[in-house]
Formats: sequence, C-alpha cells, structure tokens
Amino acid sequence: MKKLNLTKDQIQKLALSSIGFVVLLYVYFSFFLGPLTRSRDSMLVSITDLQEKVGNSKNEMTKATNLEKQATAGTKRFAALKALNPEGAPIAWFPPRMKAFFANQQIDKATARLENSIPFKEADLAGWMQYNWTLDLPQTDFALLGNAVAALENAEPLLSIHHLNIHSVPDDPQFQQATLNVATSMLKR
Amino acid sequence: MALHLNLLHEEILEQRQRQRDPLKIGMMVLGALGAVMILYYMWNAYKTLEIRNRLNVVQADWKKVEPKVTAAQKRSAELNSIIGTTKVLDGMIGSRFFWAPFLEKLSRCVALNAQITSVDGTVEDTKSVSVMIEGLASGREPRAAAEELRQLLLEQLGQSYHDVKVEFKTLEDLDTLVSIGGANTSMARFALSVTFTPSGNATKAPAPSAPARAPRK
Repeated sequence: MKKLNLTKDQIQKLALSSIGFVVLLYVYFSFFLGPLTRSRDSMLVSITDLQEKVGNSKNEMTKATNLEKQATAGTKRFAALKALNPEGAPIAWFPPRMKAFFANQQIDKATARLENSIPFKEADLAGWMQYNWTLDLPQTDFALLGNAVAALENAEPLLSIHHLNIHSVPDDPQFQQATLNVATSMLKR
Repeated sequence: MALHLNLLHEEILEQRQRQRDPLKIGMMVLGALGAVMILYYMWNAYKTLEIRNRLNVVQADWKKVEPKVTAAQKRSAELNSIIGTTKVLDGMIGSRFFWAPFLEKLSRCVALNAQITSVDGTVEDTKSVSVMIEGLASGREPRAAAEELRQLLLEQLGQSYHDVKVEFKTLEDLDTLVSIGGANTSMARFALSVTFTPSGNATKAPAPSAPARAPRK
C-alpha cells in the first residue's frame, strides 16, 4: 500500500475540510432537516388526532341520538317535575298555593311559613334547593285533614311531610289544630 | 532499451500535487454531499407538503363535523344530567313516607271508648317514623280499653310497616268520671310511643276512609 505523505499545508487544508464537513452536517440537521422533520411529525400527530376525533364524532352523534330516544321518558318526567315549580321566588307562590289547596279541601285559615332553604348535597341536584316550610292549620277536622294530607301527598310529589302534629282544640274539642313541617324540592330561581 | 528522459518532471509533479490537494478534494466531497443533502431535503419537503395537504383535508372535514359533535356532546351531557336529576328526584319521591295511610289506620283503631287528643309524628333521618299518641280511654276498665287500642294499633300497623313497636309511655287513671250513654264511667289517660319503619316501596297515599272519632265533650 502506498503511504500517504501529507505536507503541513495539506494537513491544515484537510483539517479545514473536516471542520467544514462537521459545520455542514450541523447546519443541515439543525436548521433544515430537523425543523422539517419536527413539523412533519407534529402534522402526523395532528392528522391522527383529528382522524380519531372524526371517527369518534360519528359514535358521539349516534350515542346522542340513541340517548335522545332512551331519555324520552326521563325528559318528559323532568319537564313535568319542573312544571310543578312556577316562575318566581317560592316564598311568593308556595304559601298562596297551599292556602288555596287547603281551602279546596274545606280547611280554612291555612298558612305556610318558610323555615329555611338549603342546597342539596347530591351533585345531580345542583340546580335544586330544599325549602322547609311549616303549614299551620288552626282549625280542621280529622277526616278532612286526612283527606287533605292524602291529596297533598299525591298532588305534590316533590313535597314530603317530615313532621306532623295534630292536637285537639281545648275550647272546641270537635276540631283539631294541625301543624305540618314539610320539605319541598324546588328549582333554584 | 530506449532511454526515456522526462524534462517536464517538475511541472508534472506540481500538477499531481494540485490534483491531490486535500482542500480541493474536500470541497468536491462537500459539494457532492451537499448536493445529496439538498436532494434529500427536497424529498422530505415534498413529503411534508403532501402531509400538510392531508392535514388540511382532515382539518376541513373536522371543521364540518365539529359543530355537530359539540352540539351532540352538549346535548348528551344535558340529557345525562336530566336523567341523573330525574333519577334522584324519583328516588326522593319514592322514599317519601305517606302520612295519610297512617292516619287512616289510626282512625280505624280508635274505638268508641277511646279518644285521641294529640298525635305528634316525625320521620327520622334514618327513615324510621316515630309517633307519640296521647289520648283518653273510658269504660269500666279504662286501662283495658287503652290496651285494646295499643293492640289494635300494633296489629294494623304491622300489616303495612316493619319493626312496629307500640309502647305505653304513660297510662294513668283519672279521677274524673265521664258519662257515656247515660252511664258514668271512669277514665284513664295514656301516651303511646309508636315506632316503625315504612316499607321500601312507596304507594300512593289513600285518603282515610273512616274518620277518627270526634273528641267528646
């Protein structure tokens, strides 16, 4: 093999060429090919994501359509429950409603007092509040009261009586006084 | 053997040295490499442009679908919320304690020789119900009349509720006499503590059919 004899000048030129080569590679990969590859990779990721989203969107829309069909009964029921809550603050409409209700049941002088209102702990009832009321029926008859309580419990599904007190009127034992502590679930207004 | 004289020896040497110049060779190699790299870069750039076009197409597709999907997702969330709320409300409605059937049973248990003066009932947090019933019983044996009421209550309530307990809190004779049907009879005052657990399945509240006996004068 022929030995390569290089002069000092040639070695310098060779070193310069090597440095140029390294610089060329660095510039090429760092400023040209690198950004291009990164851009391409990010675009590929975006394409995959979007294709996945488009694919899932069909499922989502199918699910929503199916859910809409399945939830027909639920939405009707919800609308019915919502319809039990008229517009306005409950303190404005609930006492007159109770007064009218008991008057229809032949119990006069019924009054409803708001005790307090508290939010529900259940996450599903975030839009609802529990209102606690005291219903005073100063003069009633046991049979009328029983009928009225039955009608009230059937007519107001969102109302529950959690305390009931009936006692005879000392001056007029034919009649009883009744106090009902009720809780109602109402939409937040 | 012919004599061969090279008179251009130095010029040929210089030419050979120019040809062997490492810088020149290096520059040629770099040039060739640069050309390859440019070609490779252009190939990559072409591929990238192709991918960008694909991305634009997919983005256009997504833009068409996105409003529908967002609306569908919003509606799904709304429906799920409605279903959840309705379920919880239905649970609350179903787990209510209906007082009317209880009052009906109570009214059926009160015989002619007994009078209820006070009923105080509470639905506890544990869904058990406790009721304090106060009243008067009369007759030759007023205590027996009160016990009869207790037994009847226990029997009647046991038909509809669980864990029924009916206990006397107080039962005391009174000095007062009461006239029933022209005959004077003695009286006893009683207080009954009633506790029970309503059944799981709530039914609609029927109206009391028989009224409680009106308190006597």
